[in-house]
Amino acid sequence: MANASEGAGGDVDSLLLSVAEQLKIPLTVIARQAELGHMTGDGTLVDASTIRVQADAALQLVDSYLLGIRLLREQTELPLEPVSVSSLLVDVAHSLERFAEQYRVQLEVSIAGKYQPVMAHQQGLKAALVSLGFALVEAQAAQGTGAKRVTLAIHRTPHGLVTGIYGQYEELAAKQWRRALQLQTSASQPFHGLLAGSAAGLFVADAILRSMHSHLRPGRFAGQQGLATTLQPSQQLRFV
Amino acid sequence: MTYVLLLEPNTLLAKTYTQLFEHVGYAVGHATGAQEALAIADKRTPDVVVLELQLPMHSGVEFLHEFRSYSEWLKIPVVVNTLSPPSRLAALYVALQSDLGVTAVLYKPQTSLQVLLRTMRQQLAQI
Repeated sequence: MANASEGAGGDVDSLLLSVAEQLKIPLTVIARQAELGHMTGDGTLVDASTIRVQADAALQLVDSYLLGIRLLREQTELPLEPVSVSSLLVDVAHSLERFAEQYRVQLEVSIAGKYQPVMAHQQGLKAALVSLGFALVEAQAAQGTGAKRVTLAIHRTPHGLVTGIYGQYEELAAKQWRRALQLQTSASQPFHGLLAGSAAGLFVADAILRSMHSHLRPGRFAGQQGLATTLQPSQQLRFV
Repeated sequence: MTYVLLLEPNTLLAKTYTQLFEHVGYAVGHATGAQEALAIADKRTPDVVVLELQLPMHSGVEFLHEFRSYSEWLKIPVVVNTLSPPSRLAALYVALQSDLGVTAVLYKPQTSLQVLLRTMRQQLAQI
């Protein structure tokens, strides 16, 4: 019978494989961009901004992965604290801004109304949402022609504050997400309806959220589909 | 003018490849997915196809089955340039080359632009 640590080891291995596969993309973009300038002798073809943004995205994924595996390995939970999810979402959008620009995806933040703080781990929640955002922006860019828009949004439900990232994704439903989680260890494209690659950003985000008693699940917002997590409002601050 | 159909889901990589092809005088039609690629090929028959196998929705293999089902596209050289490592593709090689007429398979992370271009020129020269 597999014990908890063996289970965590399996998760760590599958996350590592997934991240390694995912890192091929920004590294290939950087390598080919540099080669293009050298080969053509035309410095104007080298887009320094693309190289920087891709390198930053790769580093961010590595950092989020390291946070995720530390939590899985140590079987620890992140200490929860009251976090202003509205401010955090704006911060996440800022982190995704240049990446989205590169992929010509319009980024929007929808925070209608005032929301009380939620119980979360600020650094962990931000890392999870940024990882999720990178993956969903990349997925949106590959969804055929036409205007591309990704929305970071919060809305209130009876179960808590649903915080997620949404766009026009044809194949993003509960069934496909469950299947992707099952295929994470065995398939090179576990979520092929959404992403061409390993979808590491989604799995890293989910791993971090699980250490905060939460997880990712498909959701809808204003006619868009996406992945979201439900966060519990801080009871302590509600009455302050 | 040589017309390349580039099937590449990552739009940043697609931009780099497009800049390269245009620099050497090729025209490029770019698609991020299989359906879009078939529509582009339908508008203008490509001289060569550069294909990533890992695509969202329909895979590159599914694209090839559809693409090769049209007689006018049977002889068009297809260069696979993919993120899938050779170890993963081993089981697919026979189908890719014999059944689907793939003329070259390249591992994208380790394929320089020069090698890609040289491979495409070789394939075009054999038509």
